[in-house]
Amino acid sequence: MKRRTFVKGAASLPAFSALAGAAAYAQSKEIRMIESGGKSGDSIEVGYIEPLTKKTGIKVIRESPSSLGKLRALVESGQTSTVMFELGSGVMVQARKLGLIEKVDWDAVAPAAMFPEAKNEYGFGYQYFSTIMAWRAGQKEPKTWAEFFDTKAFPGKRCVPDYPHYCLPFAVMATGVPADKLYPLDVDAGFKKLGEVKRDISVWWKAGAQPPQLLKDNEVQYVICWSGRVVGDPAFGMNFAGGMADLSYFGIVKNSTPGDKAAAYKLMHEMSLPENQAKAAEVISYTGPSPELDPLLPKDRLWQFPTSKQNKAVQWFQNAEWWADNGEAVNKKWEAFKLNL
Amino acid sequence: MIGASPWSRRLLAASGIFGLVFLAVPILIVIPMSFSSARALTFPPPGLSLRWYAALFGDSRWMEAMATSAILAVLASIAALLLGGLAAYGLRRGSFRGRDGAEGNFMAPLIIPTIIVSIALYLGLARVGLLGSFLGLVVAHTVLNVPLVLMVMGVAIREFDPRIEQVAWSLGASWSHTMTRVVLPNLAPSVFAAWIFAFIGSFDEVIVTSFIAGRYQTVPKKMFNELILEVNPTITAVATLLIGLTVLALAAVAAILARAGKLKQTLV
Amino acid sequence: MSSARQSTGFAFIAPLLVLMLVAFNAPIAYMLGLAFWDKAHGFTLEHYAGLLEAPVYLRVLGNTMRIALVATLANIVIGYPLAHWMRGLQNRARLVAIALVVLPFWVSILVRTYAWIVVLGNGGLVNRALQWLGLTDQPVQFLYNELGVTIGMANVLLPFLVLPLFAAMIRIDDRLLQAAASLGAPPRTIFWKVYFPLTVPALAAGTLLVFMLCLGFYVTPAILGGGRVPMVSNLLDTLINQIPRWEQASAISTILLIVALVIFAAYRRLDRKASAT
Repeated sequence: MKRRTFVKGAASLPAFSALAGAAAYAQSKEIRMIESGGKSGDSIEVGYIEPLTKKTGIKVIRESPSSLGKLRALVESGQTSTVMFELGSGVMVQARKLGLIEKVDWDAVAPAAMFPEAKNEYGFGYQYFSTIMAWRAGQKEPKTWAEFFDTKAFPGKRCVPDYPHYCLPFAVMATGVPADKLYPLDVDAGFKKLGEVKRDISVWWKAGAQPPQLLKDNEVQYVICWSGRVVGDPAFGMNFAGGMADLSYFGIVKNSTPGDKAAAYKLMHEMSLPENQAKAAEVISYTGPSPELDPLLPKDRLWQFPTSKQNKAVQWFQNAEWWADNGEAVNKKWEAFKLNL
Repeated sequence: MIGASPWSRRLLAASGIFGLVFLAVPILIVIPMSFSSARALTFPPPGLSLRWYAALFGDSRWMEAMATSAILAVLASIAALLLGGLAAYGLRRGSFRGRDGAEGNFMAPLIIPTIIVSIALYLGLARVGLLGSFLGLVVAHTVLNVPLVLMVMGVAIREFDPRIEQVAWSLGASWSHTMTRVVLPNLAPSVFAAWIFAFIGSFDEVIVTSFIAGRYQTVPKKMFNELILEVNPTITAVATLLIGLTVLALAAVAAILARAGKLKQTLV
Repeated sequence: MSSARQSTGFAFIAPLLVLMLVAFNAPIAYMLGLAFWDKAHGFTLEHYAGLLEAPVYLRVLGNTMRIALVATLANIVIGYPLAHWMRGLQNRARLVAIALVVLPFWVSILVRTYAWIVVLGNGGLVNRALQWLGLTDQPVQFLYNELGVTIGMANVLLPFLVLPLFAAMIRIDDRLLQAAASLGAPPRTIFWKVYFPLTVPALAAGTLLVFMLCLGFYVTPAILGGGRVPMVSNLLDTLINQIPRWEQASAISTILLIVALVIFAAYRRLDRKASAT
């Protein structure tokens, strides 16, 4: 009893707790991360890094952009300078299979409440984004994917992603497969559907900036695009229903030093706090993984966010595991399909 | 062309002007868009404003990126011009074992897909501890731009009559004298073309730079991120400023040359 | 004299050779070697065999070559007359023309690509003009096909052909042409028998340069082609960053390298023949 009070009392002294920390690990004062850059990077700075630095004095240096190739090069080169790496959901599974990332020590992160899919063994899902249908304001509004791909009832040019994992599932849904029965994906049915309407697909996009620009220029009338690109602009109509929710993760780079990892977990903890996620959502229309985020967001913008209750309920979640196993084979078919457009 | 009929002259002028207009179209679009008041890239601009210039000069990250890009391009283009120019001379005038192999090797950075080069340079620079350093960037950009220099200078040197050099040598001129007084003045237009290719090659490079630059931001690296993630007219303001600077620089060169009455001799 | 220079020839390339061996060859050899190496089995040709079994990647490679060829031809058709016309200009006009050739360089390829959308899109300047003039009712589809890719690539690469060509052309002595004319040769003959042959080496070099730059194009085909024009750079990006199959990417790159080196060797052969005569 006595001893316990002593420990408790001593631990409250800053000097002692610092000493105890040093005994367990030398927590780094400065860490590096590689993230995707642009507005998303700004949202990380404002939402998570600033509060972390204020609380702990840990500095975080951001580099961009991130790609799986860069991660593999980073690990193969034996560098241990960068501890956190931003990865898309499919890419995270790939990175895990290639042994490029380590398990996240969730006990050390001690996160606030999170949606379960964001709390991955190998990654912290920090930012939700949705792939949805959108159209030029004034067009006849499709409700389902069958309607979206029905070019007779809904005339107009289409613009869809030039990435099989962002495009094929919607084509399969258009054949009448419900979202919960989507996987294993009937790839051939998807290609058949795309083949039927290929004359009306004028652009297959690679850059997320393309679909909104093409809608504005009236080059196309219907698009499949990322939600953050079109929300809040009266020139566009959109529908989250049947859309695909997806997550960007932060992984821990293989062979990182314990000190860097300790600091990275501190940052992940900040990322789990709803008040910080609300700050990040002011910069970008994508949201963090807290189920308690909605009340902190501006009411008039709730409909714009991938995770607000009304939107999350009507979407389905990307199956990264399936794509990690089948991506290469599907991609070969995709290239062949594109050659015959 | 001497004695050509008026019709063929007109046809030539028409096709020449067509070529220039074709080249200039993007400039004619980009400059007005930079003064646009719209939030996205639209043409014609709905209204005029200087907001994108304010955004550019108000953002220290853009200014830093411009400085980094300019210094990097100057250093890398000069290194590529020196090393590539010397090599072109050696390849054209010399004859030694493995000459063709060496030349093929020097052209390889142009041929091997950039993304493969990116990863290779990443691993290589990491091994020698230059990853994410400015020196590493300069080395990478130099290697990437050598083929452009070699291509242009190689042809120019081959076409330059070696007998002229031989005359200079036989008259007792030193090697450096022959180079600076005889060879280089004759090659000036090609040297200029080679240098500007190397400079732009570096200034516009984005794929390798994104891989190995670490914290360094260059203009295209920053633009690439902005365009992929968000179309932002600030980039048109950057382009307009660069165009303006080039026009001023060329006008200054023209004025100096005209005053010296040398416009004819220097040709460019 | 000449033998002394020949023995020093190697010294001129030595600095570059050292830099290349260290900063380029060694890491590239590692990357291209990946396709031949398997952690479990050692040497393997499996990744090349994979290419033959599923020839879709080879077809993308072939498609890339075809597009590069078309864009290069477009460059020659526009670029040669332009350079030739510039040669005949007076000083001031010539300087303006050079400025116009060089200036587009400063506009990033990304921005230029978006500028073409503004100009050539369905609601773009050209289509609006055509409809206003009553030449067409329906907008002409310039973009999101091979035509769009060709226009975009030709625009970016044209200076790479025009500048060296122009540099070669202004080195041609007017007196040579005057001499031919005074001997009674008609203009057409002077052009084809005297002038054109003198420009062939620069034309060949510029053409080769443009062709090789075309092979590696990434952003322009992806955006102006509307994703309908598969190119090898795009494929490699997928193989490196999404799937990820570095080994397959490395095998494709090696094939590309060999094809390009064969073309380059043919060019050097021709060039040497031309300089021997």
